[in-house]
Amino acid sequence: MTRTRLIFVAIVAVALLIVAVSLVWRAATGNPADAGLTVERPEEITVRVLVALPVEPWVRAAAERFNRSGPTVEGAAVQVEVIAMDGLVALGKWDRNDFGALSANVDPQELQPEERARLADFPTAWIPDSRYLVELANVPYKERLGRDVFLTDGTYRARPIAISLFTWGIYESRARVLLERFGEIRWRTIHDAAVAPGGWPDLGGDPAWGFFKLAVPDPRKNVGGLAAMIAAAGEYYGRTDISVEDVTDPEFQQWLGELMGAVTNISGGSAYTAEDFALFGYSVGDGGQLLESDLLQNMQGIVTHWEEPLLLFYPEFVTWFDFPFSIWMGPETTALEKNAALAFQRYLLSQEEQKAALAFGLRPANPEVSVTATEDSLFVRWADRGVEPVVPRTTAMRPPGRDVLLTLLRWYELNVVR
Amino acid sequence: MARRSRPSGRPPGGRGRPRRTLWLGLGLFTVLLLLLCSISGAWWLARWLTGGAEEAGPANPAPTWPPDSPVLSVAVSPVMLPTLQELAAAFNAQELTAPDGQTLQIQVRPLVPETMVTRALEAPSFQALVPDSSIWLDLLDRQWAQRHAPPGNTNALAALIPPRRVAAHVRFAVSPLVIAAWEDVAQELGWPQQPVSWSTVQRKAVEDPTFRWSHPSTQHAAGLLATLAEFYAGAGLTRGLDETLATQPHVLDYVRTIEATVQFYGESEDVLVQRLAEEGTQIVDAFVAQEQTVIAWNRRQPQRRLVALYPAEGTLWVDHPLALLELGAEDESPVTDNQRRAFQAFSQFLTQPDTQRRLLERGYRPTHPDLALDEPGSPFVDTDTVDPRQPATALQIPPASVVEVVRNVWWYTKRPTNVFLVVDTSDSMSGDKLDATRQALRAFVDQIRGPRDRVGLVDFGSGVKRVVPLQPMDERGRANLFPVIDSLEADGYTALVDGVMAAYQALQDANDPEAINAIVVMTDGQENNSRYDMGDLARAMQAGRIPVLIFTIGFGDDADEVLLRQMAELGRGQFRWASEADLQQLYRIISTYF
Repeated sequence: MTRTRLIFVAIVAVALLIVAVSLVWRAATGNPADAGLTVERPEEITVRVLVALPVEPWVRAAAERFNRSGPTVEGAAVQVEVIAMDGLVALGKWDRNDFGALSANVDPQELQPEERARLADFPTAWIPDSRYLVELANVPYKERLGRDVFLTDGTYRARPIAISLFTWGIYESRARVLLERFGEIRWRTIHDAAVAPGGWPDLGGDPAWGFFKLAVPDPRKNVGGLAAMIAAAGEYYGRTDISVEDVTDPEFQQWLGELMGAVTNISGGSAYTAEDFALFGYSVGDGGQLLESDLLQNMQGIVTHWEEPLLLFYPEFVTWFDFPFSIWMGPETTALEKNAALAFQRYLLSQEEQKAALAFGLRPANPEVSVTATEDSLFVRWADRGVEPVVPRTTAMRPPGRDVLLTLLRWYELNVVR
Repeated sequence: MARRSRPSGRPPGGRGRPRRTLWLGLGLFTVLLLLLCSISGAWWLARWLTGGAEEAGPANPAPTWPPDSPVLSVAVSPVMLPTLQELAAAFNAQELTAPDGQTLQIQVRPLVPETMVTRALEAPSFQALVPDSSIWLDLLDRQWAQRHAPPGNTNALAALIPPRRVAAHVRFAVSPLVIAAWEDVAQELGWPQQPVSWSTVQRKAVEDPTFRWSHPSTQHAAGLLATLAEFYAGAGLTRGLDETLATQPHVLDYVRTIEATVQFYGESEDVLVQRLAEEGTQIVDAFVAQEQTVIAWNRRQPQRRLVALYPAEGTLWVDHPLALLELGAEDESPVTDNQRRAFQAFSQFLTQPDTQRRLLERGYRPTHPDLALDEPGSPFVDTDTVDPRQPATALQIPPASVVEVVRNVWWYTKRPTNVFLVVDTSDSMSGDKLDATRQALRAFVDQIRGPRDRVGLVDFGSGVKRVVPLQPMDERGRANLFPVIDSLEADGYTALVDGVMAAYQALQDANDPEAINAIVVMTDGQENNSRYDMGDLARAMQAGRIPVLIFTIGFGDDADEVLLRQMAELGRGQFRWASEADLQQLYRIISTYF
């Protein structure tokens, strides 16, 4: 019996030793079970959302309300972190893989702790300006991983959360002169104004106004600038589908070059071009084709500082931005985080939040909310400045292909920047 | 009951062996536990020595901060520093907290905008910056993209959308660039009846030799933007300045003609304004500054008013952005979530109506859409010294590549400089002081880059030891100067006035009225061995044909402040204190005046 007990104690001791050594070994070498990507259920999760600049103020305000409401997903508390980033800048980051997405041959369960730590800041979702940016972002990952990282169908598909479009915003005094001279506001009108050798006096305007000054964002830093060039090409050719041949045509390039020569601030310092109207007035621009929401948000500042509002004119060839909420579908984020992002997406599409978007000049993506649904809707407030609740019959530009985009950017780099 | 009776049921003779076995088992268990602890301890020790050492920082020269740091460090341009210090204090007093309970804080530190760009490229110790203009952010992004552009196909998307160093920015105050002139001077220039242009100022400076005007060096937005405006005026354009135009001979000639009339360059306008307050308004008749400077001066010194002249050709805007950096490259510490929150909260604080009103009161144009310049209490109301309807024309801010060309070409157009470095090498300068002096002199020579600039050197002890004639700042000239600087030796008394007199005489002999002629003199002690005195120097300066600026530096507590101030006043220059720690920086700053 005594011997039996001794053996028993020895067995227990050896078992304990094995367990202890095993624990130490696992801690030292990094146990896949601790990877945290699929195994551990955290008490709190953070949803990081890269947000395009035109919707960032609204999404940030919505995120604060969402966070305050104490949301949970499968028992875990959710906090949304908004990171403002222009769609084109984010596209560049995705393309360069600046966020550090894993290669196809890496098993996320076998990551070392420091490798896992590097993924802590990985974006859970992205709200770019337009769905075509999502398609462009998918391209390099499709080559690398053999699949899309942002989906276009299914539960986790990219869903528009708000809508806006590009419109002409021109100071009333300048618009009157242009209308009298040309009869309508369109890219050809603006081009002819831009190349008038004597400036405004040649067009019948006040000599003190100097040359015609066009406001367009820097296409390398703001996707709005690229959209403006695409829209100009659409009107130039009278069609919605623009090809590489179109944008490499020397005659078109000369025309576009003359147009872009009238842009006052091409430094790119300003992401929000309509804000420049409010801050610097006539000195930086007589008008420009800008995002409707950007113009509406800055209208009060323009009136306060410069005593003359802008008038809005809807172009024949329209570029729409639909701000798709796109959830990253790679293993860099957990299923729980993806579901939390989905919960925030649904929150943004709720009637209450869609109504809140009206105060930022954004058109609701939820069809149950009209643009005049609230008193503080900017569509109501600035109705007499030409803003239309229902966009007049126009032709929507088709999203540019990757090659067209690259060609235009290259042309801009060589002919305008340099 | 059964359990209680069980031990007592054991046969007495058998009790000892089981106990021994139990003790043996427990002993074995304890040994195993100790073994386990030893293994764990050894592992933790190894981990601390490797990973732990990295976290501790000493092995990593890049600045680090805790991964949950709530402190946002902001580099601020000197011109905005007092305002931002006050606003940061008000923000910190709110004691806003992050979700983890830590208090969000803003720390501001002064930095010249050009230096901000340089530092921001190399693992900076700050996460955000407030340069005086967005033009610096463009330069930063451009230089960052050049360094970090992906190799390979230049037509690839990644190459055409370059990586950026600036993550986000917000503008909280703007002010147009103006020519600030005393009211009587402004009237002479045609104000308020006629528009005043850059050409008006240049014409006045040529016709009237007593007219003195200045603009800051191109290290500051006011200087850089003023230079851009001169290039535009020279090209006869308000937009479309490109690299070809900026290097056309007629444009360069025009800029050179204007720059030839500049009295001196130097630091940002806030330093000049301080000098005007301390030394009198006669120092300069007009200078380039942001409009806010005019408002701030007239509020504090109403006895002689400044007038903001908006150049007729057009001007540029100083737009004071608060920008967050995108850190985390290579070995850098990334911006923490809490620092991002602090940036966001501070941005909101700066743009909220109350803060915007404070900025308006200080003379900045607010960015808040609801605040008008003519609202009650606004400094733009009931005054003719600034015009809220101006400027009518903004010059086009050219791309960063053109700005770089203009900065480089400016060295060929700026007014040339002849400067003598007069250096105390008396006995008291031995040791660390002389080492610091050598480094500072080298830094000064490195900073002077104009092809027409020349630098000479006089060192003195019991008398003038050596006079190195003016050397052009080309490779050969520098090669002549550096060995002299390295061979400086400390001995003898302090013949300060003799040293200055020797430099002054050398400048008179050089007889170069087109250049800025200047002396930068440094001493750590009291004048005690000169043949000349201050009276001699004053008489010589009155009689001299070539005006000479004198900058004086008191090195350490024993320097003769009274004498150095007199010299600076005589030479319409400045007196500054320096220690071993900041002597080099001071020489760098003074070099910007030339």
